[in-house]
Amino acid sequence: MSGTHRIKVTVNGKLYEAEVESRRLLVDFLRHELMLYGTHAGCEQGACGACTVQFDGRAIKSCLMLAIQADGHEITTVEGLAKDGVLHDVQEAFRNAHGLQCGFCTPGFLMVAAALGEEKKVLKGDALRKELAGNLCRCTGYANIVTAVETYLEKVGGAAQ
Amino acid sequence: MKPGAFEYVKASSVEEVLAALGRFDGDARILAGGQSLMPLMNMRMLRPAGIIDINGIPDLDTIRLEDGRVHVGALTRYRMLETSPLIQEHLPLVAHAVRRVADRQVRNRGTLGGSLCHSDPAAQMPLCAQTLGAEMVIAGPKGRRKVAAIDFFQGAYTTAVDPLEMLVEIVYPAMPGARVTLAQQTRRHGDFPTISVAAAAIVKDGVWTNWRIGMGGLSDRPLPAASLCAFLEGKPLTEALIAEASQILPDNIDPIDDVRATAEYRISLAPVYISRALTALLKGEGR
Ligand SMILES: Cc1cc2nc3c(=O)[nH]c(=O)nc-3n(C[C@H](O)[C@H](O)[C@H](O)COP(=O)(O)OP(=O)(O)OC[C@H]3O[C@@H](n4cnc5c(N)ncnc54)[C@H](O)[C@@H]3O)c2cc1C
Ligand code: FES
Ligand code: FES
Repeated sequence: MSGTHRIKVTVNGKLYEAEVESRRLLVDFLRHELMLYGTHAGCEQGACGACTVQFDGRAIKSCLMLAIQADGHEITTVEGLAKDGVLHDVQEAFRNAHGLQCGFCTPGFLMVAAALGEEKKVLKGDALRKELAGNLCRCTGYANIVTAVETYLEKVGGAAQ
Repeated sequence: MKPGAFEYVKASSVEEVLAALGRFDGDARILAGGQSLMPLMNMRMLRPAGIIDINGIPDLDTIRLEDGRVHVGALTRYRMLETSPLIQEHLPLVAHAVRRVADRQVRNRGTLGGSLCHSDPAAQMPLCAQTLGAEMVIAGPKGRRKVAAIDFFQGAYTTAVDPLEMLVEIVYPAMPGARVTLAQQTRRHGDFPTISVAAAAIVKDGVWTNWRIGMGGLSDRPLPAASLCAFLEGKPLTEALIAEASQILPDNIDPIDDVRATAEYRISLAPVYISRALTALLKGEGR
């Protein structure tokens, strides 16, 4: 009754064609079918942000979207950030500021932060924390994450002005 | 976790949605932003036979001003409300309140129509619709009808939208130049509030008119604070007036005990948050 659907989706610049069940979540499609394990599944109910990817350039939680809804759209996952073995600016900033410990939450934070960088938003402190409020981290206490993102936004936002 | 199996229908018009709703005979759900529906399906608290995706319907997310009313399509995402200059100018309360909803990712996806139809008693967009006296345009098998906010919100997670119908548009009376505020108690940024007070008024020559105040957290739905508005209408707003006004609670209050607070605590918070909202307006802190 539920059946499967043929979808075409661009992930990290590469076009994939696949047959998916209607109920297949985007996060599970990325992990189990495309073997892109960088996107993490934490709560699977929208609360933790670990599964955040970019959908047509906007940060969204991939546990709250069906794979079939990605048909004809562009997805960027954490694997799409580094190019030719060179870390993305946001990854470099996390590394320098020690913005991660166990790393479980990190892909989600990176994808939200990268989207802010692409919008050339230069945010700090409380205003930045509000933009990051959709992501939970159980290790760092957030201070180094906020520092990392501040540094990154200043770098890319500053360059644009 | 994964949702139970369902049949997926991608609709490209309101007519197609209505036809599909009819075919599933009440056992289907409309999928808008998915920010409330998907968690419920992932946890299998909901297992509809059909999912009707409205994200591909063109022109369901337009915002326009017509004869002093702002018409907002049901599929308009929170993000669009946040960034629309028209909303900023003509519905400052909505522009102000939407930033307090959830988090960036949820606001990138979640829709105004979805929030109103989901109708969480603590949610900000239903509160604003009730406060401003919005009208909801509902499409169904027998055509379109308009329902006023007071009749639209019927209880926790319950609205006037019948299972065979769809919300298509929300129409607000425009309030350009209004002073607005939303005073709410939340444990953390992005949480649903325990109690909330939304308020808007026009100030001219020290006189405050066109009062619109609504309260969340005192019932199973957002309540309009009509007697409070009547009390404040046409007076200069002062600290003494605020002290008196904060004792005027809406009619029909019936708060619930839940994980966030007891009913008793909510009632004790009400005057505090009315006072905070009015003080913020007086000091020009809301907007
Ligand atoms: C982490 C998190 C935090 C949140 N915090 C808040 C918060 O602080 N404040 C707040 O208000 N909300 C919050 N929410 C809920 C969020 O606002 C949802 O986006 C909103 O409640 C539903 O909108 P949606 O477009 O995602 O609807 P969906 O989830 O797609 O649908 C919700 C319900 O409405 C029905 N529906 C949707 N559109 C229509 C339509 N046009 N006609 C008829 N029926 C329709 C669906 O069938 C479903 O039953 C939060 C959500 C998450 C995941
Ligand atoms: S896994 Fe998606 S938000 Fe937690
Ligand atoms: S680094 Fe461990 S959860 Fe954030």
